[in-house]
Amino acid sequence: MTLLRVEDLCTTFGGARPAVDGVSFDIAAGETFCLVGESGSGKSVTGMSILRLLDGTFARHPRGRVLFDPPSDPCAPVDLLALPEEDMQRVRGARIAMIFQEPMTALNPVLTIGEQMIEPLMLHLDMDEDAARARALEMLEQVEMPDPLRRLDEYPHRLSGGQRQRVMIAMAMACEPDLLIADEPTTALDVTIQAQILELMAALQKRRNTALLFITHDLSVVAQIADRIAVMQQGRIVETGSRDEVLYRPRHPYTRSLLAALPSRLNRLPAVPAARDEALLRLEDLRVYFPIRRGLLQRHVDDVRAVDGVSLEVKPGRVLAVVGESGSGKTTLGRALLRLVPSTGGRVLFDGTDLLGLSPRAMKPYRRALQIVFQDPQSSLNPRLSVATTLTEPMAVHGIGTDARDRRRRAAEMLERVGLEAGMLERYPHEFSGGQRQRIGIARALVLNPRFIVCDEVTSALDVSVQARVLALLDELRRDFDLTYLFITHNIDVVRYFADDVAVMYQGRVVEQGDVASVCERPANDYTRRLLAAVPQFEAASEA
Amino acid sequence: MSEIVDAAARDTAAPVSFATQVARRTFARLGARIGIGWIGVVALCAVFAPFLANSHPLIMTVDGETSSPLLAHLTWIDVALLGAFFACLAAWLGRRRRWLVAGAAAAGLLVAGVAYLAVTPPGAVVYQQYRVGLADGSIESAVFAPVPYSPTDRSRDRPRSLTAPDSSHWMGTDEDGADVLSRMIHACRIALGIGLVATGIALAVGILYGGIMGFFAGWVEILMMRFLEIFESVPQLFLLLMVVAFFGRDIYLMMVVIGLTSWPGYARYLRAEFLKLRHQDFVQAAEACGLPLTSILFRHMLPNGVAPLLVAASFGIAAAILAEAVLSFLGLGVVDEPSWGGMLNQAVGPGGTFAPWLATYPGLAIFLTVFAYNLIGEALRDAIDPHTNRGGRAP
Repeated sequence: MTLLRVEDLCTTFGGARPAVDGVSFDIAAGETFCLVGESGSGKSVTGMSILRLLDGTFARHPRGRVLFDPPSDPCAPVDLLALPEEDMQRVRGARIAMIFQEPMTALNPVLTIGEQMIEPLMLHLDMDEDAARARALEMLEQVEMPDPLRRLDEYPHRLSGGQRQRVMIAMAMACEPDLLIADEPTTALDVTIQAQILELMAALQKRRNTALLFITHDLSVVAQIADRIAVMQQGRIVETGSRDEVLYRPRHPYTRSLLAALPSRLNRLPAVPAARDEALLRLEDLRVYFPIRRGLLQRHVDDVRAVDGVSLEVKPGRVLAVVGESGSGKTTLGRALLRLVPSTGGRVLFDGTDLLGLSPRAMKPYRRALQIVFQDPQSSLNPRLSVATTLTEPMAVHGIGTDARDRRRRAAEMLERVGLEAGMLERYPHEFSGGQRQRIGIARALVLNPRFIVCDEVTSALDVSVQARVLALLDELRRDFDLTYLFITHNIDVVRYFADDVAVMYQGRVVEQGDVASVCERPANDYTRRLLAAVPQFEAASEA
Repeated sequence: MSEIVDAAARDTAAPVSFATQVARRTFARLGARIGIGWIGVVALCAVFAPFLANSHPLIMTVDGETSSPLLAHLTWIDVALLGAFFACLAAWLGRRRRWLVAGAAAAGLLVAGVAYLAVTPPGAVVYQQYRVGLADGSIESAVFAPVPYSPTDRSRDRPRSLTAPDSSHWMGTDEDGADVLSRMIHACRIALGIGLVATGIALAVGILYGGIMGFFAGWVEILMMRFLEIFESVPQLFLLLMVVAFFGRDIYLMMVVIGLTSWPGYARYLRAEFLKLRHQDFVQAAEACGLPLTSILFRHMLPNGVAPLLVAASFGIAAAILAEAVLSFLGLGVVDEPSWGGMLNQAVGPGGTFAPWLATYPGLAIFLTVFAYNLIGEALRDAIDPHTNRGGRAP
């Protein structure tokens, strides 16, 4: 039977184009329905519209109905969009619950876990405090929280990201809702944690026959959990169908292009043999410790060992991928070798010169030779400077180009080289999309004519189709400009597609390194094996 | 950030800088427009004060000879203000052409310099001579400013102290017999000057100090922060009273003291902003490109961190005006030049007499000016804060 029927839903924020434009779908009791799309496709807004969680001053629903027919209620289906706010409060949390993407901000930091869980229970299920507490404890046990009794009285900051997401799930499931809306619940989590959370959600869902509306951009996750799928593009659903229909026999060209852009579906790039045998960059026992200071006099009591004795080699022309989960020290490693973070010990040999021992003046030519491209295209460009200034200022400092006009010409050429137009020079960063900004970031690194570029999670914030294009661009550039990359990422599929060598980092140390094929196919280390097993397998799911 | 917003931005061809955007958003608000309107009126009064309220006739004919005592009695400050005003006007009109802006600024400075050296008004001034002359016919004709009284014209020919507003003195007279409206108009200079100069000093010191604190963490920052806390504990009003007692009632000294006591707030703001910005990717990128420290600090960090300072500064200007008003109200303000606070002080005479017009008009002027700056500050804060300027876009 149909639990939720969305008919011609339309949501606008007062702009010219509605964010959600005539979306219709059904969800049956107990099924998992996935809403897939790239950023800005309106998938999250759809989820929020169902529960009417959008900011009322901007959001309007000119058309559409959201019919909700809970089996526990014998009455006729109600239209959630027309329901008075009072009745809506009895639906939210009780009959339809929601889990958000960011577990770090979804919990109130000044209330204990217990307080946050008990309040909705007392409100919706009319329990007294003791019963609600017992119930909360039971829920924490069900989500396999270690030591649940103690966790109940702790504040959210004591919990890791995965644990917080478990608390969120426990809270959402505590009132036994008929429908659970999960908006990118695992996007902020590491793959090993993601695998655990997905498993947990599936188990809970089966036990209680809860329907799940799962909103995500990650097709590999969808392949693992979905019963039915809807693909959204620019506020409309372009294709709906069962999992196998949509993923393995897609009809709409947009769905096909999305699937084709998955790194696991792309043909591996041909490896580049090293130009010379000696390493371009060699790290010897590099250590970066962040001191922990306590007390009035800031006494040094201990260190956080972000990078703890890493030795690596990058051959010229190769791409070395550094893989690891959050907190493994891979980003710190990338910044330490560029001296953006002070190192505690060890050596960074670039072409035989130890960069860590150089004075700032002697470092200057190496600032030109070693460059970095950042993860977040939002924050990596100065919002107050035009693209022209961003590109020409470093050139002027390093004496590239004869005069301002020549530097502008070079900047324009470089923009065209990375797939933008020369006419965009006068624009400011906020006028570009995420993918375009990442291209500007790459252009900024390239104008200095570097030999080595640290790519720090360059594609993590991008949609898959944009990611595929940026990776292709990076590959083309490295062949044309003889570049060497240190490619920091958490995405194993991207490593398989893009990198030549790989180093796996865990808690500040490199636990395994070698060429990509051998590490990915025959992992020697325990942790590497766990990491690889946790990656959602798109192809494996199709056979099941 | 969604692609929809970006797609919309791509269509608008003309690139708009962040500063222009903020200015547009600020002045899209009614409050800010009212505020800037009032400040504009005060500024015009300050610049054209001698032409609005003056006992010297603009044009006078004696024995067939035409002269302009008003122009002859202009001080160098009057001339410099006029020069600065027209330079600003020219720069604003020609803001698209850079050389015009530079030329206007140079011309303004030149006028101020020449005025300081060359303009010397006659020392002894007898205001009543014109009224007496007109009455006995020795002056054939004269054209006066709209308010025919100078702020220090005590009407010695027909003493009228503390008269209520009437047709000749629209806002009444004070206890010396000077015209209140004239004094109000001339007091605009102190009100504007003290706000801008004191806050300018505070901003300059605060930005320098806060920037250093924010960029160099560690011992430098700890020591500087402790020094700042010591400085913050000095009460501004008592320091002002002491300075006035030791060095006399000098308006410029007051501006400096108010400026030097109100910078710690700005320094704290900028430190917090810099601490946040230092770990931003674009600052790291600037460092990775090998840009010099001055460029990183002043080109990449300062413009991104200065916004909350500007908001605080608009409130700071209001506070400086109030501080001067308080000092004048206590009878420790400037002696000769009129100020709104000083006029308030005169509202209650030594004998317990109360002149309501002396309390109402200057009080209203102080209130409106402080209110105007606060309105602008509030609009500026809303325009800069990303959480309040969504304005119909998707959140």
